[in-house]
Amino acid sequence: MSTYWPWWAGAIGLAVLTVGYTLAAERSFGVSGAWDRVLHWRRERELERAEEEFEEQFADERDFAAALAKAGTDHFATLAPEMAPPAPSAPPVRSHTESPSGPPVQQPSSGLDDASRVTEVPVAEAPLAAPQRPAPLVSQAALLISIFLGGLIASLTSGRFHLRLDMGPGFRDLVTASPVGMVALLFAGGVLVGFGTRLAGGCSSGHGLNGCGRRDPVSIVATATFFGTAVAVSFLLWKVI
Amino acid sequence: MRTRGGILLANIVTGLALGFTVTNIGFGDYAELNRMFTFQDLRMLLSFAGAVVIIVCAFALLRVRRTPGRIHAGVIPGAVLFGTGWAISGGCPAIPIIQVSSGYLPALVTIGGIVVGVRLCRWAKGRRYVRIDSGSCEL
Repeated sequence: MSTYWPWWAGAIGLAVLTVGYTLAAERSFGVSGAWDRVLHWRRERELERAEEEFEEQFADERDFAAALAKAGTDHFATLAPEMAPPAPSAPPVRSHTESPSGPPVQQPSSGLDDASRVTEVPVAEAPLAAPQRPAPLVSQAALLISIFLGGLIASLTSGRFHLRLDMGPGFRDLVTASPVGMVALLFAGGVLVGFGTRLAGGCSSGHGLNGCGRRDPVSIVATATFFGTAVAVSFLLWKVI
Repeated sequence: MRTRGGILLANIVTGLALGFTVTNIGFGDYAELNRMFTFQDLRMLLSFAGAVVIIVCAFALLRVRRTPGRIHAGVIPGAVLFGTGWAISGGCPAIPIIQVSSGYLPALVTIGGIVVGVRLCRWAKGRRYVRIDSGSCEL
């Protein structure tokens, strides 16, 4: 009998952590995205700093616009052009429609270049409203480290922890028994996983759990494709090779 | 909970729960994984599919917004590469981490491969060798 959890316990566990994260952080998580950001931490840190600076500027301008509106439209309609602060430059923005490596998206400048705009546009609907930012870089690194710790706790408490220099009898029987072949195939497989998940925009957690959970068409297509491919390759390994 | 501290805490708790759960389901065990992909044992497949069903229902009840994702040109080839790599190495991006934490030291090589693959993809996009805006599922 398997020492692993029954299917229903695993389903509840995966669902609870996914829904819990969505409620707590008001966003979804993806392990491949975390890898991508952590491995490019210099670039990502620069982007975070630029966004923070922009938010500070935006906060100042928002306060200023609110003060203008409160003081009265007629009076400030003639004064605002002289008093308006310089428009802040938009920060580089990462959205889920833009590759993190691509050129930063510049939001159109929407500074207070006209007094009537100051009074007509409600502050809450200001065009400079920032899009949903990705989770901070440090939290992405924490996610990866926590996965390791969670796995360690599970393997130690279940008695399955065992230091070994192979990948177990399953890998030896189905893929290769050669140590050199094992290293080569694990590395090649890892490259395919890393490149493929970033090309597809997500992995089994981002597309599979979060994306499919949101009934996102791109995630459903991606999950069906990577699962179908893994089924085909696994059958090849099992029956043919 | 939108503060940096709140998001950090959410990531730590989720990471611990994810590592604990996928290890106890058996995703780090290559033999179990192959049995799932060849439908010899439906336990892990039902765990994943059951989780998706519960999440869909929960998100519908909680009125979590649906995401109108664009099916870009990188989805199919990327997913094919990912599926191939997963079946060969036994690791999706989280699994080699829990394989190492279970004592499978060769999984460090898989992690090395993922590092190279992730960096290679961003490099290729930066050089415009890959003209695909694949975005990210992370919202």
